[in-house]
Amino acid sequence: MRRRGLLSTAWVLLRKDLLLEWRTRARLNALLVFALSTLLLFSFAVGPDTRLLERNAGGYLWLALLFASVLSLGESFRVEAENECLDGLRLAPADPRALFLAKAAGNTLLLVGLGTVLFPIMVALYSAKLAMGMGDFLLVLTLGCMSLSAPGTVYSAIANHARARDVLLPLLLFPLVVPALLAATKATSLVLQGDPMNQLGSWLGLLAGFNLMYWGLGFLLFPRVVED
Amino acid sequence: MTSLLLVAQVTADAAARVGEGRIQGGWGYVAASYAIAYGAMAAYAVSLWLRRPRGGKSEE
Amino acid sequence: MNDKYRALRNGLAVLGVLTLAVGAYMGLSWAPAEREMGEVYRIIYVHVPAMWMALLAVTLNLVCCISYLFKASWGKDALAEASAEVAVLFGGFGLVLGSIWAKPTWGVWWDWDPRLTSMSVMLVAYLGYLAMRKFVEDPEKRAVWSAVVGIIAYVDIPIVWFSVKWWRTLHQVQSTPKTVDADMTLALRVNAFAFLFLMAFFVWNRYRIARAQRAAEVALPEALPTSAGHTSTGPVPGVLS
Repeated sequence: MRRRGLLSTAWVLLRKDLLLEWRTRARLNALLVFALSTLLLFSFAVGPDTRLLERNAGGYLWLALLFASVLSLGESFRVEAENECLDGLRLAPADPRALFLAKAAGNTLLLVGLGTVLFPIMVALYSAKLAMGMGDFLLVLTLGCMSLSAPGTVYSAIANHARARDVLLPLLLFPLVVPALLAATKATSLVLQGDPMNQLGSWLGLLAGFNLMYWGLGFLLFPRVVED
Repeated sequence: MTSLLLVAQVTADAAARVGEGRIQGGWGYVAASYAIAYGAMAAYAVSLWLRRPRGGKSEE
Repeated sequence: MNDKYRALRNGLAVLGVLTLAVGAYMGLSWAPAEREMGEVYRIIYVHVPAMWMALLAVTLNLVCCISYLFKASWGKDALAEASAEVAVLFGGFGLVLGSIWAKPTWGVWWDWDPRLTSMSVMLVAYLGYLAMRKFVEDPEKRAVWSAVVGIIAYVDIPIVWFSVKWWRTLHQVQSTPKTVDADMTLALRVNAFAFLFLMAFFVWNRYRIARAQRAAEVALPEALPTSAGHTSTGPVPGVLS
């Protein structure tokens, strides 16, 4: 059998995951409803102060995405745990680094999609305005979701085989993504409210650096996590 | 006249305090800090002693 | 192995306590009061060494984690566990002291100061690391996974520090008093050495506990699916003392 290249293996695995996701749309819907209700709950927790809600819109969006990411990340290895699919993939033999790339990219896509759907709802709920272009927003969204997904994928693979996996994943992930969350929230706020002091670049740089670091580390370390 | 004197005194006091510019007292914070630091380390030492390896080959 | 290092360990403890007594005297009465902070600044003689020791301990943890992934041994895993727990101890009370320091200095218990904030994030990350170790029963998997988590958590510390610093500088710049004279430096060093001796004592004893736990876990070969056959990366139970 011809061994596939790394990226081509990753592409096949990603397509498999996306197909699986599409065939069980109930999960996607549940994720969407969860994120939506989180957005709604923030406005209840803060109270009907429109100006406050508008100012914090970026932060609420990212908290909703973070909470949703815990659910989607937790699921991404649970589907492999059924019927020992993970062992099957390793025996295929699929390069575990390709598995990491596929899972992390799949989670990124899922979260970016979620963020895109949440955006108009956030605009409506918090009466937020988009001061800069939609392209800037999508850039921030993509970088932010990537930085949640890379360490999240590694930790999800670990937590999936531990006891109390539902507690463990957020316990490990939340402190880790603090800088990413901070940068993404700041950048989103700047995109929404305007950037008079030209700070967007440095926050995007921080996000890019975080991504570089954790996609690299995940790529290197993930094989050790799933090895037998 | 007396009011003028009073004003002068108050400003002098304020000036002295600004010149001093130092936080007065605060020994309570210091005592609490040292107590917490030493207490935490002592408590950890006790917990290590309670968990010490017993029996087996590692004890003499 | 007989416990031939017991005298050395206890010597460390005695040395640590004696140095700490000298350090307490120097910090509390020998060193002069600070120009702006008055007496309150004396908190730094316990706060700053605690933070240094926490950073030192997580660095030791990182070294163990990286070296474990290159060549597995139960000793490295035990040392990683010990250093993480001691780091949480020093970081934990160090943060409480930082909060006490903030109250008279800035008027609030918590000021989102970059150093304190990144230390608190680090503390939560290592609490997660310790919790993960508790949640995984297979000792070999636990060792590998916690090595991975340890590396990932350590790399995050400077990133958190930078991000919080940027986040804060848009608000205000924190001025730290730079009025340090030679006596203060000396008192701080004595206290730091006392903490270092005590930390070494703690890590060493915690390491022995972890080692004994590993030995007990691996002593039951039936409990582990992999220990019966040959394992490529796992340490051999026989090397345990």
